[in-house]
Amino acid sequence: MSAFTPEQVKVLEAWTKEYPYPVMGLIEALRQVQDWHRCVTDADEEYLAKLFSLPRTRIHEVATFFPAFTQRPTGRHRIGVCQGLSCSLAGAEHACRCLEKKLGVRAGETTPDGRFSFERMECLGACDQGPALIVNDELKGAATEELIEKLTEELR
Amino acid sequence: MNPLSQKSRPDPILTKDFDEPRLQELETYRRLGGYEGLKKALASGREKLMAEIGKSNLRGLGGAGFATAMKWSTVPSEEKNPGPRFVVVNCDESEPGCFKDRVLVTKNPHQLIEGLLIAAYAIDARHAFIFIRGEYEVQYKILEKALAEAKAAGLLGACSIELMRGAGAYISGLDTALLETMEGKKAWPRQPPPFPTVAGLMGRPTVVNNVETLSMLPHIVENGGDWFAKLGTPKSGGTVLFSVSGHVEKPGVYEFPMGVPLREILAAAGGVKGGKKLKAVIPGGVSTPVLTADELDTVMDFEGPRAKGSFLGAGGVIVLDETTDMVMVAHNIERFLTHESCGQCTPCRQGSFWHERILARGLEGGGTAQDLATLERVGENITGKVICALGDTVGVVTRALMKKFPEDFKAKFHD
Repeated sequence: MSAFTPEQVKVLEAWTKEYPYPVMGLIEALRQVQDWHRCVTDADEEYLAKLFSLPRTRIHEVATFFPAFTQRPTGRHRIGVCQGLSCSLAGAEHACRCLEKKLGVRAGETTPDGRFSFERMECLGACDQGPALIVNDELKGAATEELIEKLTEELR
Repeated sequence: MNPLSQKSRPDPILTKDFDEPRLQELETYRRLGGYEGLKKALASGREKLMAEIGKSNLRGLGGAGFATAMKWSTVPSEEKNPGPRFVVVNCDESEPGCFKDRVLVTKNPHQLIEGLLIAAYAIDARHAFIFIRGEYEVQYKILEKALAEAKAAGLLGACSIELMRGAGAYISGLDTALLETMEGKKAWPRQPPPFPTVAGLMGRPTVVNNVETLSMLPHIVENGGDWFAKLGTPKSGGTVLFSVSGHVEKPGVYEFPMGVPLREILAAAGGVKGGKKLKAVIPGGVSTPVLTADELDTVMDFEGPRAKGSFLGAGGVIVLDETTDMVMVAHNIERFLTHESCGQCTPCRQGSFWHERILARGLEGGGTAQDLATLERVGENITGKVICALGDTVGVVTRALMKKFPEDFKAKFHD
C-alpha cells in the first residue's frame, strides 16, 4: 500500500525525470517525503527503492546519513539554533535555553502537540546574524528572546 | 551604512553594485552591463577565453585556491573522452565563519549565472548544476527566479542549468562528496585520482567551482586577465570576499584586493566589539589555524597565512576578544568536526570524537596534564592519514590553539 496520494506519486515520479540520470533526483525526493511525512518511514524507503530501482539498503543509507532526514516525525516547524563558533560567541547557548523553556522540550525533541521540534544545528551560514535561528530551512535571523516569542506565537 | 559598499576601498568587483535596488532582477543586472561578459566570451572563442582566465591568476575561492584555468585545462578533450561533461556550482557553504556565498547569491544571482555560463562554454559543457545547501531556502528561490528569467531571455543558449539541494551535511561541500550527494549517495569523499575534471559526476568530466570564483568570470572577461591579475598579489589575482564575524562591531562581507593586511579587514568591520582588546583571529573559517593579535600584519592572499602556519581558506574571519577561552574555541570546533565527520576514515571518525571528549572534560573541570599530551599524540595521527580535507583538519586547529595560548589550556588541564 502506497502511503502517498496520486498527486504525491506524480511529484515523486517527476524527480526521477528531473535530471539527466534518474538517481540524481533521490535527495530531492527524500526531501519531499520528509516534508510530507515529517520523517522517512520504512514504507517510504521501500517505495523510493522501487521508484528509483535501487536496493532498499541504499535508500536507508542515504536517509540515515543526512541530518535533514529523520526516522521519527519532527514537529510541523523544525526550529534550529546554530552551534557554530560565531553563533556560540553571540549567545547560542542562552538562545537554546530560552527555546527549551518556552517549548518545554529539549534539543532533539518534539512538543506533544506536534507543532515544534527543536534542534541544535551546525553552521547555518549566517555567522553575521548570530545566534542564527532557522525554521524549516528558512533563516529567521538572530535568536533573540523577542524573535523566539514571536515565532512560537505565530507559527501554528 | 552598508559595509558592503564602502567606497573608500579600491576596486570592488563582486560587490560594486550591491547598493543597487532590484539587482536580483535581470533587467537591472543588464542595465548595469550584465551578460556583456558572456557575449564577449562567446565571441572571443574558447582558446582566447582560457588564455585570459590563465593570465588573471584567478584561484578557487572556495578554500583550496587551485588555479581556475589550470583546473579547467585538465578536462579531457571531446576527442579523448567523447560524451557529456558538466559544470557544478558549489553553493554548499557550511564552514563556520563563512557566509559570503549566501550574500553573493542573495544580492546578485545573475552574476553567478553569467559566470557559470562562461565556465560551461570554456569546457564545452551542455549541462550545468547549481548545488545549494538545503538550509539556503531563501537563496534557492532567488536562484530559481533568476534562472527562469535568464532562460526566458534566451541567455542560456545550448546549456541547461539545474538546481539541486543538499540535505544538511557539511561534508557535501567537499567537491567529491558533493558529487556523491548529487548521485543520490551518502556524502563520502572519493580518493583522487581520478580528479573530478577527469571522472566526476556519473563518471563524466566535471568542473566543480565555488560561487565566488564563478562570479568573478564576467568581470575578468570584460576587463581582461591582466587587469584582474594586477589587482592582487603575484600569485593570487583580483579581489576576495571576507566574511567577518565574532567579536566585531560590524559583522558582514567585505571585499578587498588579494594581499590586504588582516589589520585592515578588522578595521573595516569596525574593530573589536565594545572596545575590548583583541586576543586572536581565525583567518579563513574554523578549519584554519588561529593567528594571534600580534599577527595582524599577515597579508591575506593564498600565501600570506600559510607563512604563519594557517590558510586563507574561504575567507571566514572570526574575531576573538580578550575574554575568549581558547579551550571553549577548540571544543566548539572539534565538536563541529565530530558531528560532520562522514565516518569513512577511522582516524578522523575516532580522532575527532576523542578531541571533543577530552576538551569537554577540560571545560567541565576534570582535565589532567596528561590530557594535553594525549591531544598532541592523537592529533598527530590523523592529518595525512585520511581521504579528505575535513579529516586533515581534525586536531590541527586544537594544536595551534594549544601552542599559541598555552596558559588557557594549562588552566583547564592540570593535576
